[in-house]
Amino acid sequence: MSAIVQVRDLVVSYASGDGPVCAVDGVSLSIGAGESVGIVGESGSGKSTLGMALGRLLAPGAAIEGGDIVVDGQSVARCSAPELRRLRRERLGFVFQNPMSALDPTLRVGRQLALALGREATPERIHELLGRAGLDTPATVARRFPHELSGGMAQRVTIAMAIARRPALLIADEPTASLDASIQGLILDLLLSLVRDTGASLLILSHDLRMVARRCRRTVVMYGGCIVEAGDSREVLAAPAHPYTQALIRAAAGHEGHGGRLTPIAGVPPVLRGRATACAFAPRCAAAQPRCHAERPAERALHGRTVACHFADAVPAQLHAAESP
Amino acid sequence: MRLIVFLVPRFGLAMVTMGGVALLVFVALRLLPGGYADVLLGPYATPEARALIGARYGLDQPVTVQFGKWLGALLQGDFGTSMVTRKPVIDEFLRRAPVTAELATLTLALALPIGGLLGVRSAVAAAGGSRGSFGRLVGALGASVPEFVLGSVLIFVFSHWSLGLRVGGFTPLTQDLASNLRSMALPVASLSVFGIALILRTTRDAVLRVLTEGHILAAVARGETPRHIVRHHVLRNAAIPVVTVTATYFGYLLGGAVIAEILFSVPGVGYYIYSSLEGRDYAVVQAGVLLAAFAFVSLNMLADVAYALIDPRIGATRTRT
Amino acid sequence: MSTPGRAILLRRLRRDRLGMLGAVLLLLLLLLSVLGPVLPLGDSTEIGAGPRLGPPTAAFPMGNDELGRSYLPRVVQGIGVTFALSSAAVAITALIGTALGIAAGYLGGVVDGLIARVADVLFAFPALLFGLLVAAVVGPGQISAIVVISTATLPLFVRVIRSVALSVAGREFALAAVVAGASPWRVMAVHILPNIAGAAIVQLTYALSIGMLIESGLSFLGLGVQPPDASLGSLLRLGSVYLNVSPWLALIPGVVLALAIMSVNLLGDAIRDGLEPLRGRALT
Repeated sequence: MSAIVQVRDLVVSYASGDGPVCAVDGVSLSIGAGESVGIVGESGSGKSTLGMALGRLLAPGAAIEGGDIVVDGQSVARCSAPELRRLRRERLGFVFQNPMSALDPTLRVGRQLALALGREATPERIHELLGRAGLDTPATVARRFPHELSGGMAQRVTIAMAIARRPALLIADEPTASLDASIQGLILDLLLSLVRDTGASLLILSHDLRMVARRCRRTVVMYGGCIVEAGDSREVLAAPAHPYTQALIRAAAGHEGHGGRLTPIAGVPPVLRGRATACAFAPRCAAAQPRCHAERPAERALHGRTVACHFADAVPAQLHAAESP
Repeated sequence: MRLIVFLVPRFGLAMVTMGGVALLVFVALRLLPGGYADVLLGPYATPEARALIGARYGLDQPVTVQFGKWLGALLQGDFGTSMVTRKPVIDEFLRRAPVTAELATLTLALALPIGGLLGVRSAVAAAGGSRGSFGRLVGALGASVPEFVLGSVLIFVFSHWSLGLRVGGFTPLTQDLASNLRSMALPVASLSVFGIALILRTTRDAVLRVLTEGHILAAVARGETPRHIVRHHVLRNAAIPVVTVTATYFGYLLGGAVIAEILFSVPGVGYYIYSSLEGRDYAVVQAGVLLAAFAFVSLNMLADVAYALIDPRIGATRTRT
Repeated sequence: MSTPGRAILLRRLRRDRLGMLGAVLLLLLLLLSVLGPVLPLGDSTEIGAGPRLGPPTAAFPMGNDELGRSYLPRVVQGIGVTFALSSAAVAITALIGTALGIAAGYLGGVVDGLIARVADVLFAFPALLFGLLVAAVVGPGQISAIVVISTATLPLFVRVIRSVALSVAGREFALAAVVAGASPWRVMAVHILPNIAGAAIVQLTYALSIGMLIESGLSFLGLGVQPPDASLGSLLRLGSVYLNVSPWLALIPGVVLALAIMSVNLLGDAIRDGLEPLRGRALT
């Protein structure tokens, strides 16, 4: 399986009022053709920065400080502006968290799709795209303005625009975070069916581990700008190796027994002032050892997965011992 | 229809505003030293003329009745009679209005494209990381030079080195277009600098705000070129504050860019009002202020129509399907 | 829009080069006008001290006016008068405008409607024409100029304060104060007022620059400051008569006036950017 995206030791930092902040701290990742990957992490974990970096869409003040991203054989960090635009146009498609602000409020939906399609813009193609995005009355929707749509419909429109040029990789940054709970599943299923039909790859960024792991083939967990665990979704969900992943599962609602309690993760996510020199999760880890505070764990293979923890194989035993019955 | 829902109340408000303007002018004129009759007719009026004015404006009746009569006269197009020419004031205004209108239109035709273009350029550059200082400096400087300073400089320069433009002397539009434009060039130049700066600053600010919006990020993510983004997404979204400022500025220009007309001897409305003030022909001053305010309020109504056309959210009742 | 802390604001201002230029220039001009009488610049009232309409020389750095008076002290005096007049008028605008704006934004309803209508009416008058009207009623002079500048700058000021007060009034701490039983006066004075301070200061600087333009325009028309007092505008009026013979009499006050107004504008821009830095996305 050839890789559509290859991220190698990526480092992204941005300037803030109090000094430089490291948002992505040496991440390596590859996404194959037709693969579905979910990146899970809290706000500040670096997942959004990573996702945006794939298209060099970094916020003002942020820059790629090290490493590289190769999309379809083209280096994103080093290519020229016209090449970058071509990549964005033809290889990548982005779906953002807030559908209303992603649409131009002064133009009708059909017109916006036409602008996205460029030369291919015909009414048939526009209606076809809207239909594939799950809108029942494409002709009517095409005449509407964005403020006349519901959140779910607006997000379907942005998805239609993202797939308009048949991208090789669809990147969705918290695509359901601002939608009603009842349609979140529908939108995610839509994304998956769209990439299945076209053979494209899908990257979903989210804070909801269960929701992502149930739909994506591979799950990557990020914390403090680093990947802490990555592997087959079912395995990660069933037997998480990294303490953070375990804590995420315990803290999320869904599978506790009757009368069982949710265990939130104590502490707050870190703000990295530079590249980390120790394990970023150590301050909040129940099984932390002195070595965790002094030495940064490298990613290593474990049970067919990648884990960045000094004590991954020993951790399940320790955590069971640390927990109160 | 959305336009009507939005515009009808605005029209009502405009009427109220005009009423307030009329009231303010009425009060101001009554505050002038001497009675209203003296104000309008001057000290050498005959008793018959006084009696006539007294009857028409109800000068021996309660103030509210006076206001009513005066307002009634206005609405019939009677803006009073000039003390100097003994003819209805409105005639002279109608004669001079095209001149001021031409001056205002030429100035705006120069200021809007130049200011708009520079403003957009400055904002896009600033967003791209450059300091954008040039645009800010030009904007601040242009807004700081009073038109009579600029006008004086231009008069000085062109008096000494003619360069094809005469100072003073005015040819009406209908007589000779080329000569007319030559006589308009300097007043337009001195007026438009402020306009360019004003529109530059407003456009720059509006465009910078639009560039922070999410749909611009989405457009960049789709690989659209900067020119495409500016043309299709930025301009419409940034237009509303620029329309507001343009309407205000045009209203100011129509109100008689008094100083420019005086400096360059342009026989427009502003010149007329000013010289009437010196000659104590208050009927003219009264009419001038009223007409200027009326023009301004009308321009604001036009701006309201423009808003509704530009932004589909205005006046809309939310329909969720 | 949340108001940034004073420390952050000052840091942003210091880094803004154009803003610093404006601040320094303004300070210099203000110092000059305040210290003018004490500095050895010459006597502004001595008629015939030098040749009538004399060009700038070492003895008279800005030349002499039509009565032979040294021009330099006259110009310095003019700076002071222009600033004083405009500042007085804008101070009145600030006082009335803040009160009306907060009342309109916070109390809403009939109060808001009434204030908005008054603002609309005042806004509909072109400043200079209104100046003609006021000059006719109260006679030309400094009072006339102050009245005109105040009424011309009031409507926009009220509108901006009103809209900021409206958004502040909806925020949690204001609602919490109401729930805790604070009277409307207390809420407006203690909670709303400090939070509109930033926007008010920005509008003040713009009102000041407009005020100086209006003052100089009125004086240029002979409706503002009357002789022997001199503002930069009235100096321009007198100087423009002799434009062909002694151009410096008009050009010097003109340049000084433009610099003064520009310094205020640059400072206002810098404060506004400091309060609400706009970092639009780059289009590449």
